[in-house]
Amino acid sequence: MSYLELLRLAAPEAIVVLTAFVVLTIGLVTGRREAGDTPAATAGLGALVAALGLAIAAATIVRLPGHATLFHGMLVVSPLNSLFQVIVLVLAFFTVILARGERLLPNKGEYLAMILLATVGLMLLIGSEELLMIFIGLELTGLSLYVMTAFDKASQTSAEAGLKYFLFGSMASAFTLFGLSLIYGFTGTTSLAAIGPRLAEQALPPLLFVGIVMTLIGFLFKIAAAPFHLWAPDAYQGAPVSTAGFIASGSKVASFIVLGKILLIGFGPVSGSADWHGLIAGWTPILAVLSALSILIGNLVALVQKNVRRLLAYSAVAHGGYTLLGLIAGGRAGFSATLFYTTIYAVTLVGAFGVVGFVRRENGGDDLADFAGLRARSPLLAGCMAIFLLSLAGLPPLAGFFGKFYLFSTALRAGANHGLLWLVALALFGSLISLYYYLIVLKVIFLDENAQATPAVARYDFEMRADYLPKMTLLVLAGAVLLLGIIPGTLVARILASFG
Amino acid sequence: MVTLGDYLFVSGLLFTLGFAGVLLRRNLIIIFMSLELMLNAANLSLVAFSRFRTNSLGQPNYDGQVFVFFIITVAAAEVAVGLAIIVALYRARRTTHVEDINSLKF
Amino acid sequence: MSPFFFWTASALMLVFGAAVIINRNPVASALSLVVSFLGLAALFMSLDAFFLGIIQVLVYAGAVMVLFLFIIMLLDLRAEERRRINFVAFAGGAAVAVIFFGQLYLVIGHLHQAKLPFAPLAPMQVDDVHRIGLLLFGSYNLPFQIIGVLILVATIGVIVLSKRELH
Repeated sequence: MSYLELLRLAAPEAIVVLTAFVVLTIGLVTGRREAGDTPAATAGLGALVAALGLAIAAATIVRLPGHATLFHGMLVVSPLNSLFQVIVLVLAFFTVILARGERLLPNKGEYLAMILLATVGLMLLIGSEELLMIFIGLELTGLSLYVMTAFDKASQTSAEAGLKYFLFGSMASAFTLFGLSLIYGFTGTTSLAAIGPRLAEQALPPLLFVGIVMTLIGFLFKIAAAPFHLWAPDAYQGAPVSTAGFIASGSKVASFIVLGKILLIGFGPVSGSADWHGLIAGWTPILAVLSALSILIGNLVALVQKNVRRLLAYSAVAHGGYTLLGLIAGGRAGFSATLFYTTIYAVTLVGAFGVVGFVRRENGGDDLADFAGLRARSPLLAGCMAIFLLSLAGLPPLAGFFGKFYLFSTALRAGANHGLLWLVALALFGSLISLYYYLIVLKVIFLDENAQATPAVARYDFEMRADYLPKMTLLVLAGAVLLLGIIPGTLVARILASFG
Repeated sequence: MVTLGDYLFVSGLLFTLGFAGVLLRRNLIIIFMSLELMLNAANLSLVAFSRFRTNSLGQPNYDGQVFVFFIITVAAAEVAVGLAIIVALYRARRTTHVEDINSLKF
Repeated sequence: MSPFFFWTASALMLVFGAAVIINRNPVASALSLVVSFLGLAALFMSLDAFFLGIIQVLVYAGAVMVLFLFIIMLLDLRAEERRRINFVAFAGGAAVAVIFFGQLYLVIGHLHQAKLPFAPLAPMQVDDVHRIGLLLFGSYNLPFQIIGVLILVATIGVIVLSKRELH
């Protein structure tokens, strides 16, 4: 394999890294004349270049060959990987634009560069089927997200959120690493495609099973499944809003796809079964328990939240639980249901955090009270938020409804004799609870009066004229959520076709 | 005779020590050091497996050693970022004690 | 690898590893960490991984410990004063750790490979630095490049997070 071939296949990643260099340089040469915030022109130019670089990278992915494998699976080009790399790039694109509307952070150039480098990590996570490369992708993503979480030094809570994210993240990656060392030890390989057959041919020593479970911990941490979710509420609440949105969307999509590939390609032979009557030891029963736990904890704790970002975090735990259903069901159908659900969830959350970002900039906070009377102040934002939240709750005709329907029906059909019925019933019950707390947020937005009547002049201009671009982005995202609910078949067909 | 099991035993013990440190200590700097112990326990078992799985030519399986090489690099980068976060936090709060870091809760 | 050497190095590593988490004074912990990793490096060498043993000493004694000490001095941390320990949490944490290790111990005991001795190595034709280097620039080239990106992330992150803003 020549270096040229490597460069050709890794061109999308290389383009994003180069873009990060350019953005850093822009921040370096144009900023910092006055103390404090980054000059608006610098931030604008940086965001423009970053968005452009992401778009070029996405275009490059489309032009890659259909199938290629480099170094025993360290870099795999396949329709599935390419599709999700493009999705992650699109999510990063929206994050960059929405970060534009955020209160100007000092060091905006570095912030944008971090978003881009985190995106490189996510692309590698998606594009790799080799354990070492996956670990490095995990760490690259993790480190950049820790830094982004702690980025806002003007905020009291940002560093604290970053610290908690870092502590839980490093502990999870230590567990994963120990698990990986055991898997390497018993199979003698780190390539996912080779691990599967070796697991199938030998009787499973218990130590290897310990290794598999420890490996999974790192990914369950990333998707914030209970009981590995403790970082999520703090990180979502304390981080800069666009970072929180990116953690909830891009990082989650990549983690689910890599989790799915590890489970179904690598550990497929030791899956076991979580059927109510036919429990078989393996990773499936463990995932089923965690999924049930996530659905319960996420939904119940979300009921008592007073802060919208914290509420979204706990609901993210619950949604992580639903999404695991597809992996428990297994097979192509289950995996595609998981991927579809996590994609629309990511699109919805980027939008929801975009709205939160606007409200936070106007009111200085993101508690439920800060959303009071949002309808009167900005019908556009209120309408978008309504679409996002109702989709999360799973009401037709929005995308969330179809996603849940697809996921739950796949899970029902999977086991013999509707063995997963218990879990699906639990998930339906959880969705019912979630409807209640989403409606509370909407009630505050649409029905409550704003307690402290805002003096219209002193506030940041909250109308359509300002921040044209981020608001258009929110509209596009809301439109996408609506459209994916009405004609979900296009995306589902693409995902299914990409399995090849 | 020293066997693979002995190495795995020692490595498991080191991992547990680190894990216990993370769970029991309340000083952030010491928690970070305990995380290092956990990572290095993984390194030890990787090297032991790499030596155990010799190929037909009588060479160790170098994949495991390269893995360790990468982990050492990643661990160093991780320590640097973690300590920088502590510095940022210390500037805001004047503490490195876990129990004092509690402004985010419901 | 003689059993005497193995158990001496292991004892060194584990005793000082325990000292890391027992010491009240962070400086003492940092120094114990280094001694513990010297023991680990010796274990690497007992497994014929000489290059990794040396890297381990260089990186941990040379860089990581200095970083820890630097931060401890910068923040002027003293030995922490005795706080009232939350006994429920402490007992819970200790129980989790003990159960975890018990589990691991049982599982290792069950392993039939664990009782096999290591196969002898062929006399080395080329040194392991050479072999690892070839792998890094051959089939591990992509992760090697990505590690560079990761270090860039760490560099930017550390500078941004730890510098003082000019307000």
